[in-house]
Amino acid sequence: MRKWLAILACKVLRFVGGLIGRGSSLPGQIALRLCPDVLGRLELPPYVIAVTGSNGKTSTVEMIASILTAAGKRVIYNKEGSNQIEGVTTLLLTNASMGGKVRGDVLLLESDERYAKYTFKWFHPTHFVITNLYRDQLTRNGHPEWVYAAIEPALHPDTTLVLNADDPLVSRFAVGRDPARVKWFGLDECSVSTKEHRGMYHDGLRCPVCFGRMEYSCYHYAHIGHYRCTQCGYERHAADFTATAVDLDKGVLTIGGKTEIKLAFKSIYNVYNILAAWSACSLAGVDENTMAGVISNYILKNGRMVTFTLGERRGTLLTSKHENSVAYDTNLGYIRSQKEDCVVMVIVDAISRKYFTGETSWLWDIDFDLLDAPHIKEIVLCGKYANDLALRFDFTSVDPAKVKVRSTVQEGVDLLLGEGNAPPQYVVTCFSDRDKLLAHAKKD
Amino acid sequence: MEMKLVHLYPDVMSLYGEYANIAVLRRCLEGLGADVTVEEIGFEDSTDFAFADFIYMGAGTERAQKYALEKLTAQADDLKAAIGRGVPVLFTGNAMELLGKSVTDAKGKVWPCLGLADYATVETDKRDPVDVVAHSPLLERPAVGFMNKCSVTSGVEKPLFDRLSLGFGNEAKGGPEGYAEGSVLATHLTGPVLVKNPELLALAVKRIFALKGREAPEVVPALPHQGEAYEVTLAELSARAKG
Repeated sequence: MRKWLAILACKVLRFVGGLIGRGSSLPGQIALRLCPDVLGRLELPPYVIAVTGSNGKTSTVEMIASILTAAGKRVIYNKEGSNQIEGVTTLLLTNASMGGKVRGDVLLLESDERYAKYTFKWFHPTHFVITNLYRDQLTRNGHPEWVYAAIEPALHPDTTLVLNADDPLVSRFAVGRDPARVKWFGLDECSVSTKEHRGMYHDGLRCPVCFGRMEYSCYHYAHIGHYRCTQCGYERHAADFTATAVDLDKGVLTIGGKTEIKLAFKSIYNVYNILAAWSACSLAGVDENTMAGVISNYILKNGRMVTFTLGERRGTLLTSKHENSVAYDTNLGYIRSQKEDCVVMVIVDAISRKYFTGETSWLWDIDFDLLDAPHIKEIVLCGKYANDLALRFDFTSVDPAKVKVRSTVQEGVDLLLGEGNAPPQYVVTCFSDRDKLLAHAKKD
Repeated sequence: MEMKLVHLYPDVMSLYGEYANIAVLRRCLEGLGADVTVEEIGFEDSTDFAFADFIYMGAGTERAQKYALEKLTAQADDLKAAIGRGVPVLFTGNAMELLGKSVTDAKGKVWPCLGLADYATVETDKRDPVDVVAHSPLLERPAVGFMNKCSVTSGVEKPLFDRLSLGFGNEAKGGPEGYAEGSVLATHLTGPVLVKNPELLALAVKRIFALKGREAPEVVPALPHQGEAYEVTLAELSARAKG
């Protein structure tokens, strides 16, 4: 009866909430109050795929949803990204019959890494994809090992883990588990690989298991690569789903030595998101042609890369997450890899859109030296924390004559508008600040 | 005038851009005419503190901190001798805990520490990341920064900060924070504290000059943009503190 009531309340509240434009957490919250164990009393679809990790969750989930849908499967997933237990409850109950049977072939969940253990207290995924673990929003998350410890209790022994073999910290989730319940994805040494580590810090220096010194035969980016501990032998596991070649210039990814995929976004990040989605969908029974077709025609929907016109100038906004140096490094690397003369604007005005903080330490973890390139003609730093940025730039190899500092976004925009039909610009900033620029621009 | 800055275990005790503390200190000292060398002591290296003019350690994961403790314990006598001759020391984040008597980890294991100070730390399973505005008799204006700790430190008799108008102190919200005794400064403030606080940077500079028997300028100039950045953060955090 309580279950029935909870489902009814959730459906009604969701319907009313939809009419008045309210968020998706409240109905689930009320339902959980009416029936705290409701999630344990549902009949779930045969596949329950969860995705977590520091970066790429939303992109990976959206790609999985597109592929599965193209393969004719009915997918239930949290499009709004409400990935804590209340949002998940809303999603499940809204899509359940009054008897508690969740419709659909696949339930797909983006899971907040810190809250996964609460969400999966009452049921567990058949497949749990973990993309990567690195420094991300340390003001909330502490550090990657802390996040590792938060995810671990959410992993049920019956769940098949789908792990990034190239991330030593993620791979550690397999230690002590039944090997039959672990599937791996990874990238072979290829054109993007380097022998030397690049970045302001190296979180793969010590072994996650024994703290021994790690050796890398190659790096793909940050601490992602092919590693081995010199002390205990902990090493990268061979991948079940392998990207065998990547050509970021041409935008071609080869999976399994034969299937070529066109990259919608020529970034190493995107390669891993595709690999994660490919692995999950393959395990859910989708054939390679369908997967390759969907991914090759895939258009990034999440608005992380937006082209626009500001005055007479063309621009591309690369949304990075503040407090996430890997996301920044990837976008800075992308700008560096372009050939055309350009201007780069970096905006740090509000550090987060979700909570208050004045913390700027993460600026020192970003490899701004990547902007020391001949085709980058000017760098405009703006926003409330422009001085913190400027001080950071004083410790890079970037020519100070190229750097201009403005303490508001408006002043930064005015500066660019005043330059007329100048080289195209790249803007690097966070969701919290992007609209402050786009408000002045015409989106393509 | 040669000066040697020793950065302990930057490869493992560096979670929040701590290297920047040494970078700005070096820049500032060089601006005052010093010939500065930085010795980064890797986790697998040992060092001779005899020639150090400044010793720094930043924050690490709880696990890394225990390994750093093991390494540092082997050189505890050398470190004590350096402190004895007045070498300025700065330990930030959970490195501060190593100077005390012990750290009890979240599983209850007690890790004896260097015992340079009389405090003891107990780790918890709860992390309290908070912005901080901190008041110290050593500074004319408040220090700003961020703290990301999962521990309570008790028994500090000589805190660096008397009170916090924002953030958690050693044991309580708003309470005294850090540790300051002789040439040793320690705080749970994490990351580039000397970048964010021109006055703390100046204090470190003056102490290094004093150690070398030289007179530092009365006003140590902040680095370009540093003062402006400090004012913005102080204004933001102070507004927050007032709620």
